[in-house]
Order: sequence, then C-alpha cells, then structure tokens
Amino acid sequence: MLVRPPKGAGRKRGAVSTSAEGSVTPQVPTLAEQLSYLHNPRPFKNPNYTKNVNRRAKNLKAVLGQERERERQEREKRRLEREQAMEVDGDAQDVPLEEDYPTYHSIEAPPSLLPQRHYCDITGLEAPYNDPVTGLRFHDKSIYELIKGLTTSAAKDYLSARGVNPIVK
Amino acid sequence: MDTELNITRLPTPSPPSHPTPESYDTARSAHTPLIIDNGSTNLRFGFATSESPHCAPNVVAKYKERKLGRQVLLFGDAVESDSTARSQAKTPWEGDVLLNFDALEHALDYTFIQLGIDTPTIDHPILMTERLASPLHSRALTSELLFELYSVPSVTYAVDGVMSFYHNKLPTPPIAPFTADGLVVSFNTASTAVIPILNGKGIMSQAKRIPWGAQQSTEYLLKLIQLKYPNFPTRVTTAQTNWMLQTFCEVAPDYPALLRQLRSPDALRAAERIVQFPFVLPAADERSEEELARIAERRREQGRKLQEIAAKARVEKLVEKESDLQYLTKLKTRKAEESRREWEHSLQAEGFSDDGALDQAIKKLEGDLKRARKKEASEGDEGTVRTLLSAFHYTCSLIVTPHLYLQQEEPSFPLVDVPDAEVYLPPPPLRPLPFETIDPYATQLDEEGLKEKRKQKLMKAGFEARARARREKEKEREEREAEERREAEERGRDLAGWAGKLRAEQEAIIARMKERSRRKTALSDRKSAASQARMKSIATLAADERVPKKRRKVGGGAYPLFLPTPHILKSPFSIVEDTFGADDADWMIYRKINTAAASEDEEDDLAQLQAVETKLLAHDPTFSAEHTHAARASQRSALISAFRPKYEDGDAEGNTRIHLSTERWRVCEAYFSPGMAGIDSAGLGEVIQTVLSAFSAPERGRLVQVRASSFSSFTTCSTPTTATATIPPRHTERLPHRRAAHIPGLSARLHATLRPLLPPEMPLSIVRARDPPCDAWRGMADFARTPGFARTGVTRAEYEEWGAERIRRWWGGNWNMSVV
Repeated sequence: MLVRPPKGAGRKRGAVSTSAEGSVTPQVPTLAEQLSYLHNPRPFKNPNYTKNVNRRAKNLKAVLGQERERERQEREKRRLEREQAMEVDGDAQDVPLEEDYPTYHSIEAPPSLLPQRHYCDITGLEAPYNDPVTGLRFHDKSIYELIKGLTTSAAKDYLSARGVNPIVK
Repeated sequence: MDTELNITRLPTPSPPSHPTPESYDTARSAHTPLIIDNGSTNLRFGFATSESPHCAPNVVAKYKERKLGRQVLLFGDAVESDSTARSQAKTPWEGDVLLNFDALEHALDYTFIQLGIDTPTIDHPILMTERLASPLHSRALTSELLFELYSVPSVTYAVDGVMSFYHNKLPTPPIAPFTADGLVVSFNTASTAVIPILNGKGIMSQAKRIPWGAQQSTEYLLKLIQLKYPNFPTRVTTAQTNWMLQTFCEVAPDYPALLRQLRSPDALRAAERIVQFPFVLPAADERSEEELARIAERRREQGRKLQEIAAKARVEKLVEKESDLQYLTKLKTRKAEESRREWEHSLQAEGFSDDGALDQAIKKLEGDLKRARKKEASEGDEGTVRTLLSAFHYTCSLIVTPHLYLQQEEPSFPLVDVPDAEVYLPPPPLRPLPFETIDPYATQLDEEGLKEKRKQKLMKAGFEARARARREKEKEREEREAEERREAEERGRDLAGWAGKLRAEQEAIIARMKERSRRKTALSDRKSAASQARMKSIATLAADERVPKKRRKVGGGAYPLFLPTPHILKSPFSIVEDTFGADDADWMIYRKINTAAASEDEEDDLAQLQAVETKLLAHDPTFSAEHTHAARASQRSALISAFRPKYEDGDAEGNTRIHLSTERWRVCEAYFSPGMAGIDSAGLGEVIQTVLSAFSAPERGRLVQVRASSFSSFTTCSTPTTATATIPPRHTERLPHRRAAHIPGLSARLHATLRPLLPPEMPLSIVRARDPPCDAWRGMADFARTPGFARTGVTRAEYEEWGAERIRRWWGGNWNMSVV
C-alpha cells in the first residue's frame, strides 16, 4: 500500500500517529495534541489538486449577491425564451412555468400579513401602551416608571431587540 | 416559599471523547455508499450499511499549540476542550450557506480518517445533504472538492428534511417506490423549512424557508437576558444560552392566553426557572472583635500623640513669644537709661526703624499672648500648658506685666462714658487700670483720648452684642425644651391623635413635593399648558411695548396666573408709566419663569419631612421605616420584583442567578411570529397556510399529515434510543416520547394553528420524527440501499461535462440548476 505523504508540503511528514513523538525530550502530549489529527495520513487526497489554496473564501454577502444576480439573469433569459416561443407558436407551452425554478431567494418566506401584536419590551406581557419619548411598549404603570428611569442607550437596546433601530444623526 | 425555588446549575462540560478510527476492512472494495449528513451544527457520517452514524459537532480548529509550539488540528468535541481552540473555531457553514471550504475539507478529512479509508481515492458513491435551494456557489465548491480532491465516483445531493420523512414513512418492501404524502416542517440551525411532498416527490418549487432557527433563537434569548441583567457579573456565552433554550423553553399552545395568565406576580413566580451561574464568594472581612478594637485603639493613640505634639509646639511658640516680649520691654526700659543716639543705635541693631515700630511689635506680642491665654482658658486644656508656663514664669517673674494673668474678667470701658467735653471727676482707681491712665482732672479728651474712647466704644458694643447673642441662644433653647415638653405631654395623653396629626403633615409635604415634580415635568414638555403659559409670560415681560393700545380689562377669573397685572398707570397727562417692580410681589414672576431654580423650596420641604418622620419613627409604634417617603419612592412594583427579583449587593450567589419567566415562551413564540424579534417574515403558521394554498383541496387533504422533524438544531447527537413507532393512522394525532432536544408543546401549537385553517372534516395529524437528529441520515442510508439510488447521482464524467453546479433532479433533491 502506497502511503502518500499528507497533502501540503509544509507540514511534518511521516505516518506517525498523533501521540508523543518520541524525540529527544519525551514530553507528555497535551490533550489537544492527542486529539489532533493533523498528522494522520490522508492517502485518499489527490496531491495534484492545488486550486483551492490560492482562492480566497467569499463571504456571505458576496455569495448571496452573486446568487441573486444569476437568478435575475436566468429569469431574463427565460422570459426572452418565452416571448420567442409565443411569437413562434402562439402559446408558451414549451417553456415550463416560472414557478418551477426555485432558487435560494425565491424560497424565502414572504413578509407577514397578519396584524402585529404588541408585546411589552421589558416583560414580554401584553402591551397596550406606548411611551412617546422612547417608543417602547409597556405593560402597565409600574413598568412605565421603570422606563422613565432608563438611559437612552438602554432604551435603544430594548428597541433593537424588537428590530427597531432608530438612527439619530 | 424559598425552598421551592427551581434552581438549576449550569452543567459542567464533559471531557471530549477520543474515538479511534474504524477498521476499513468491512467496507473495502465494497463500494458501499458513504452517507454524509452535513449539518450546520452536527456532522453525521457513516457507511450505508451501518446502524447509526458517527456524530460530531461541525467545527474545526487549526492553530499553534501554546505550550509546545506545534500545529494542531482539532475537530468536533475536541474543539470545546481547549480555550485556544474555541477562539480559533471555524465552521464550514455560515447560517444556511456553505462558505468556508477549508473547514469543509478538514471536516471531510476527519470523516474519511475516522472511517479508516486508506485507498488513494475514495471508492464509494457519496450521498450528501444540501440546504433547501442551496446557493450554487456552495454546491459548486462542494462538488469540486469531492471530485477533484477526493476523486469520488459519484455524488448525490439530498434535502435532509425529505430524507427524514422518507425514513419515518418507509414503504413496506423497501424497494417499492416511495409514494407518501405529507408536509415536512424541518427545524434547522438557521432556518425553518416547510416542504410539501406529494406522491413521494418533494415539490421544491412550493417549499418555503423562514429565516429563523435555533441560532437566531439563541441570540434572541441572549439579548433578552442581557437586557434584563445589564450588570450581570459573568459573561453568558452562546453555548450556555443554547443549553438554557433547550432545557427551559417551550412553545405555548395559546400565547395571548398564557400572557394574560402570567399577569399576576404570583403566576410569574410560579412559572419562573432559575439558573445559577458559578460565583465567587467575596473575601470575608473575618477580623474578630479584638482585632477591630485593637485597630481603633491604635488609631486613637495616634490621634492623642498628634494632639500632644501640637500642644507642645504651641506652648513652645508661646514661650518664645513671651521671651521676645520680655526682651523688648527690657529694651524699652533701657530707652530711659540710654542717650538718644545710643538708643537709636540699639533700635537699629534690633531691626526696628524707630520707637513706633518697637511699640507696635510689643503690642502685637501682647495681643497674641492674651489671645492665646484666653483660648486655653476656654478650652480648658490647663494641665500641660499652665504648668509649663508657670514654671517659666517662676523663673522670671518680675518683669512680666501683670495683665497677662487676667483670664476671663469683664473688660471695662471707662472712657465710654466720658463725655467729650465735660468736667468729670472720676473716683481714684483702686487698682491699676488696664490702660494708660489719663489725667483724671482733664476736662476734655484730647486726640488720643478721643481715639481711646472710640476704641472702647467699639469694644463695648462688640461685647454687648455677644452677650445678647448668648442670651438669645439660651432663650431659644429654653423655648425648644418647653415645646418638646409640651409635645411629650400631648403624646402621653393622646398618642393616636398626635401621630395622626403628624402623619397628615407628612402627607401634605409629600403631596406638595409631588405637585412640584409634576409641574417640573409639565414644564419640560413643550406642548403642555404650563410651559405655554410660561412662554406667554416671558414674552410679555420682554415686550418692548408693554402698553396696550386700548386699556386692558382685568376681569374675571379666566385670566391665567401668569399674566402680570397691569402696572400701567395712566397719569392725567397721558404719560404711561410702567410700575413693574414697585410691589415686591411682582418679582415672584421670575421665580415662575426660571425652571432651573426652586430647589430651596424642595430643600425646605425635605428638611421638614425629615423632621416629621424622625419624630414619628421615634414615638409612633405603627410608623416604620417603610412608611417614610424615601422608602415609598424607591419601592419597586410587585410585578417588577417578581419579574426580576433584586438581591442585596453582598449576596454573590443571588446576583449570579438568572430568572427566566416570560422568556421561556417568548423566545419560542418567535417561530410563529418572527416580527417579535425584528425579522420581517411570516411565521410558521402563516407559511404553512401559504404553502397549502398553492395546492388544490384534495391535495391539501393529502398533505395535511404534517411531519415535524428537527435535527441539527438543538441536539447534541447521542446514541439513539430504540423507540417503538407505528405509522400513525390518519385521523389521530400522536405525540411520541419527548426528547430533551426538541421543543415541548410544538405539536399542540401546530395543531391549534392549522386546525382553523382547514375544513373541519379534513383529518389532521402531526407527527414528530422518531429520532430527529439522526433520522435524516437514516433516511439517506435507507435510500442508498435501494437500487434507485444509483440513478440519482452525478458521476465523474457528468461532472466534467456539465460543470460543478448541475445535478440530477430526483424526488429528494433540490430543483435549482437540475437536469430532469
């Protein structure tokens, strides 16, 4: 059985297991080292494949943006096709319907149509009342006293938990 | 009541397992499909022939070990064992999107190493999971990784929810085609997906995804805890919050009804759960009584020593001054003996410019000494100083002028009564006068005499004024004592009446303070009547033309207080005068305008209140510290104390407790209305309704056997329990055994949400997956064993022809970029 060296030239070679490398000083390996599998042999890896070393990982925003762009292009293309099919035949039976192409963004749930219920920002109980100064919703008088004593930053934190981010320039 | 507190401690983390790689011999050259359930939280993998998958948290950490300086690569549980590892942890997933391919590579390395594979290529077809409508970038890179780096023969992507459904509804001979119907609700880490399945095929185009999952729930709970406890002593980590979420949080079957029930503080307390965080007892000041006494004694000693030193220094200075005085007076007496020239010479030698300076110096020293004497006499610190001084004076007694011995004698002012210009024959003095005598037979006071007389007049006035002040103080004291005696009498006679009177007074003062604070807040509000009246009065005061064109009619009580009464007089010659300020009461208007001041009134009120309260506290048995104004003002309402109980400052244990009362349901309610937490999306109920509405009525009937499966959301993968599960008949609703991993109450809530949406005769059943974490893997393993599996994958050749993004459409996979 050919034991290929693990991928990556910089790492230590050898098919030794992860436990203490019996070198000059027999040090007790730490737990992390014991659990590490960095030096386990990986014979199944293809050493000729190096493309991904140079590539930088994209972040979420970039990936999603790219996805959206591509979706848009696809949709455009399909629409053109459909129009062409209409021109030719008079009915667009050949091109399947738009809904059959689910994409990452089209799968997303729609915004809610139900009326929003008001819950107290402090306690979580029902909140029929609203504080005009901070915008917080509260359950009753005593909680209003508490709100009056909050600092502006604390009030803003409560609001951001609800998703309301008042940005004052 | 205290014994019933539900206190739970945080669980201590268990040490990581150290699994040994399997032996590969069983699967070598067998081409058994390799099933990988690539979840956001947990990675499950194994051969299709295994009973159950290996399971590990899907985190990778690669870093340089601090102690020995070696590179270390950890995966799964091991990452939690080391703090450096925890800080360097990376996951391949970011929410729902596979982004970090280095991490994925390490994860796949781990899986293959664990399975013991040692062939140059992976020789097994891979069945891997994907998110619903996964972005093509993720899929492309995964395919590339698998085909290029590991050289697998074929890859199939499956949607985990559908696979779990398949497992729970296996067709009875496994090879038979899958034709079940149902609606899968899949609870993932960063999203919740609703997928309809008709006739065994997942209808991906009608599926929907809600961007709310366990990860967002944990963050929401953490935010709520941080808001509730802004000064919590220790940091609450995400892992701990996750544990709290799993252990305590539930879904309420009817959220508004539950909230109405929790309105009372008692219900809140009954419903709360307390989590005790690790705390540190403060170093107790265990100094015993004797030690404290010793320390106090030492301090007192030091104080006394300092006092003695100061006294000695004072005495020394006095002595010095006296010796100086003696010397100077001696010098003066010498003046009489010496000639003029010599006298001047000796003066110069001493440093005085002339006689006058010498006299001044003498006088100053005398004055200082006298003052010092007087002070000592009044302080009464006679012992040391007197003895010292007397010793000193004993040695040189003759020269010192006698007046230094005078202590508290009444100074006399003989000259005050001497008229400036009158014949006056005073009696001959019986003892030496304190001042230089004048010729008693003088008929008129000369310059000096006048000066003396003026001086004496001033001194006499001062002396008399002081005497008067003393008398007044005495009188005041007597009055106060008389008052107290009277009160004590009254108290003795009628305690209740006296107490009542004082209490009424206290209430009145408190009412006044409240009124003032209300006025203050009203003034700060721009639109209130008080502030508008204030602006009106300011404008009137500042108006140039204070004279109205017509005579102003002052009538009725309808005028607001702030309008000044017309001070405008019209004299007979039509010259208008403004007499503002003639009357003292006019200036009161400035008090009303100035919002910043008015603190003197408050202070007066506070002082009065305090006096009344101390009297009440001292004598009235029914009036306690709680009735005082301060206690009443700082009282927190019962609701808030039930919601967030307050512990004392020194109670370290109490202060590291977290009370969860409404948060338990609030966090899970966000699944059904993410708008609560700021996500603009429909909730689970609404989404299910939307999905169902896309189908015709009979299809809907088939779909409404909802299957709730949850994996990679809350669970830590553990060995699955064997559960007896029967395929539920259509009409009933089953609630299988509850795993700690899954939210309680979910099925009931779903049922309550869906029932009103459907026609009443349509049967509805909600079933939970038998083993939510591992069922997806099991479903995939089951499917991999059927012959249909071979037709669904993308082979190496197809990958090279189509590229990495295209896959084959099959009943359990995604539809985007798929080939039919």
